[in-house]
Amino acid sequence: MYLKVESLEKRYGHLVPVSGLSFSLGQGELLGLLGPSGCGKTTTLRMISGLIHATSGKIIVGGHDVTHLPTYRRNMGVMFQSYALFPHMTIAENVAFGLEMRKLSKADIAQRVSSALSMVRLPALGNRKPLQLSGGQQQRVALARALVIEPDILLLDEPLSNLDAKLRDEMRNEIREIQQRLRMTTVFVTHDQTEAMAICDRIVVMNRGKLEQIGTPHEIYERPSTPMVADFVGRINRIRCRWRDDGAIAFGHTAIGAVSTGPAGSEVLVMVRPHRIELRSAGAKAGRAEGENTIPGTVRQVTYIGDSLQYAVESEGEKIMVEQATTSAGDTYKPGDAVTLNWRARDTLTFAAEADV
Amino acid sequence: MLGSFLRSLQFLGLAAILLFLLAPVILVFPISFSADAYVAWPPSGWSTRWYGELLKNEELTEAFSNSLVLAIYVTILTLLIATPAALVLARNTFAGRSALVSLFTSPLLLPSIVLGLAILVIFVGYGLVGSWTGMIIGHLVITLPYALRVLMTGLSTLPPFVEDAAGTLGAGPFAVFRRITLPLIAPALVASAALSFIVSFDETVISLFIAGTRLKLLPVSLYHYVESRTDPLIAAVSALMVLGILVLVIVIERAIGLRKAVAK
Amino acid sequence: MKDSAAVDQSNSSRRAAGVVFGLLLPILIVNIIAFVVPVLNLAAMSFRSATAIGSLDEALTLSTWQSLLGDTFYWSILWRTVWMGALITAVTLLLSYPLALFVSRRSGWVKTVLVVACISPLLISAVVRTYGWMVILGNQGFLPALIRASGFTPPRLINNEFGVLVGMTEILMPYMILSLLSGFGRLDPILDQAAETLGARPLTVLRRIVLPLSLPGILLGCLLCFVLAVSSFITPKMLAGGRVSLLATEIYDQAIVTLNWPLAACLSVFILFVFGAALLAYGQLSKIVD
Repeated sequence: MYLKVESLEKRYGHLVPVSGLSFSLGQGELLGLLGPSGCGKTTTLRMISGLIHATSGKIIVGGHDVTHLPTYRRNMGVMFQSYALFPHMTIAENVAFGLEMRKLSKADIAQRVSSALSMVRLPALGNRKPLQLSGGQQQRVALARALVIEPDILLLDEPLSNLDAKLRDEMRNEIREIQQRLRMTTVFVTHDQTEAMAICDRIVVMNRGKLEQIGTPHEIYERPSTPMVADFVGRINRIRCRWRDDGAIAFGHTAIGAVSTGPAGSEVLVMVRPHRIELRSAGAKAGRAEGENTIPGTVRQVTYIGDSLQYAVESEGEKIMVEQATTSAGDTYKPGDAVTLNWRARDTLTFAAEADV
Repeated sequence: MLGSFLRSLQFLGLAAILLFLLAPVILVFPISFSADAYVAWPPSGWSTRWYGELLKNEELTEAFSNSLVLAIYVTILTLLIATPAALVLARNTFAGRSALVSLFTSPLLLPSIVLGLAILVIFVGYGLVGSWTGMIIGHLVITLPYALRVLMTGLSTLPPFVEDAAGTLGAGPFAVFRRITLPLIAPALVASAALSFIVSFDETVISLFIAGTRLKLLPVSLYHYVESRTDPLIAAVSALMVLGILVLVIVIERAIGLRKAVAK
Repeated sequence: MKDSAAVDQSNSSRRAAGVVFGLLLPILIVNIIAFVVPVLNLAAMSFRSATAIGSLDEALTLSTWQSLLGDTFYWSILWRTVWMGALITAVTLLLSYPLALFVSRRSGWVKTVLVVACISPLLISAVVRTYGWMVILGNQGFLPALIRASGFTPPRLINNEFGVLVGMTEILMPYMILSLLSGFGRLDPILDQAAETLGARPLTVLRRIVLPLSLPGILLGCLLCFVLAVSSFITPKMLAGGRVSLLATEIYDQAIVTLNWPLAACLSVFILFVFGAALLAYGQLSKIVD
């Protein structure tokens, strides 16, 4: 493992923004730190970069303990949310700064600056000042400045949050492309789960200063280990039920099957993603597939949002959200329609009720 | 009709108030060219004799050069002392920080007549009255709070994280200060320097108390001169001082204005 | 391993604390030797007494305070200082308000020029500006000449309270204008327009919208001007010709001419009491305004 973080903790008096955090990533891996604002992800990034000191724990890079090294000896490229370009220097001077600190020769610096600027596709803007550039251009400069020093690790702090939606997707893919080409070990902080899913090899989900789950985007989405993770990475229904003694879940009069089981009679939190549920007319005689859950319900509300239709369906006194892709055929249900909700047992996520907060 | 009459009346009133505000500064110019031996309006004739007298007046020329030298010393020391203090106070959070800021700026809250008296009483005991050392310390007490305030404001308006960014690129604390912080607070430094210079050059009350009789300073000498005589010599000095300040203001405006233009 | 890391960190934080202290040391030294110690010493000085030959009695005593508080002369000085301060403040406000309001409604270079014109007198020595008023108000000065030319006998304009009032008003106007302008900052012209669309006439807009919203700036300006008027020394001294005794001029006379430092110290504490009262009044009034 190239970067190892071991039981990292930060304390300010009674405040503990990060505690007991451990994870590691291999050479060339892109790891996302994902969580709501205030979950400690930026604090973690700043501890890795040395901008704040860890209260306890260790940070190990390539086998060397860097926990007590000052920032300027760590050789990490950091891209800040606000880019933090030096307003009094030109673009070329900004990119050259880290190389000057490393006492490279003038010719060497000039050559590396120009290749870094070409890499981010800004070869002609070296003489401009940062404030003369657009947000997207400023961001490319920030990326070039962080990469030109050939850092051991690249740290990205919410790099896309200041861009408009279209540019954000473009930059996201560009960052991923450059990262893979350079095989750069990277930590990427974000609060946007789509962003994290799209480009990360693995994701650390953080909440209240602690690690909730670490895994690939697929694992995080399909097999969240806590209700918080399930909720954070996508929209989801939550229903409180009880386990039956046959290993199924009692939902009113119907039984729902899940992958796991629990002690009979104990409370269970059932979570199902809205777009994994299929609606059928109550009368339809669709053959019930093996391992599929079916419950009856009544459509209460329909919202059309272009890509999909959102239904609020009432079933056994619970409101369940269902989302279905729209088709040109346009066969939709209306409020008052009697329907059945159908989904696979393996899409039923179950959590001990105590885990729900 | 009535509306436009009222409006012109309003403009006249405002012009009169502005004139009142600027009258003493404006009127010293014609009086300084008076040919009379005393201040009288209208002068019986015009001449430049009082500018000639001024150059011949040893006390005033000595006082002028002393004040200039003093203001330069005070300005340099103010920047050297206030800049590190502002850095520490703006960049760190520690217990008693805001108490220290209040302590360092509180000399401005004290009437200068009280501060002057207080310093006089202490300095007499140490033989500092009428000495350059005493004078410099006495002025630093009031220039430091101004400079500290301006520099702390300047530091707080720095773009976020640029110093951090320099650190991640391999710059040690001193390199960060020299390459990033210092160039970015240059306008604040120029403003503090100008302010310190003007405050020191103009300071009358504290100087009056601790300059003694040996050390001649311009505002003190002017004050004593006006107390005893009423010839237009002081008008000539005043006219020159007003012009000097005007030039200084324009220079600063250009310096800071230009920097702003470059940054934008 | 763990222990050595902990030691390492406490060492580095101790070093950081040392650097912080080192960088603050120069300003701390200047502040202590030329502010803290002198001011405490002056307060102590008010509990000493001067002997007949101008030297100090060693013993601590209340006698200086007793003679000060028992002498109606000093009470009359205090009274004159306070009401002159209040009068100067009121006149300054009256002249500054329309000008500041006008300036705040301009924009672009016109505003810049006006602001510079209003503020730049601050940069010019009070001695020079007061001298200018001697040139204008003096018996052979500009204004008496004007009055004489129009066929009247000019009254005495200088070496009396009128002269002090005029000079101080002009000296303090830039401070008042600055405070008012900062107060007008939160006054959006759109509010005027809103009031006008609701049917308010210009004077009503001024009374109901502009004035209430600019009250904080007015209060701040008044506090500043009153405090400066009470403690000013150069202008009253030059324009009163020794005929108007105020606290500040009396402190100077006692300290430099009579060399009665304990009495000057008592008067200094007196002035600080006036300051304190003004601050208290300001605090109460701001609370009411909010």
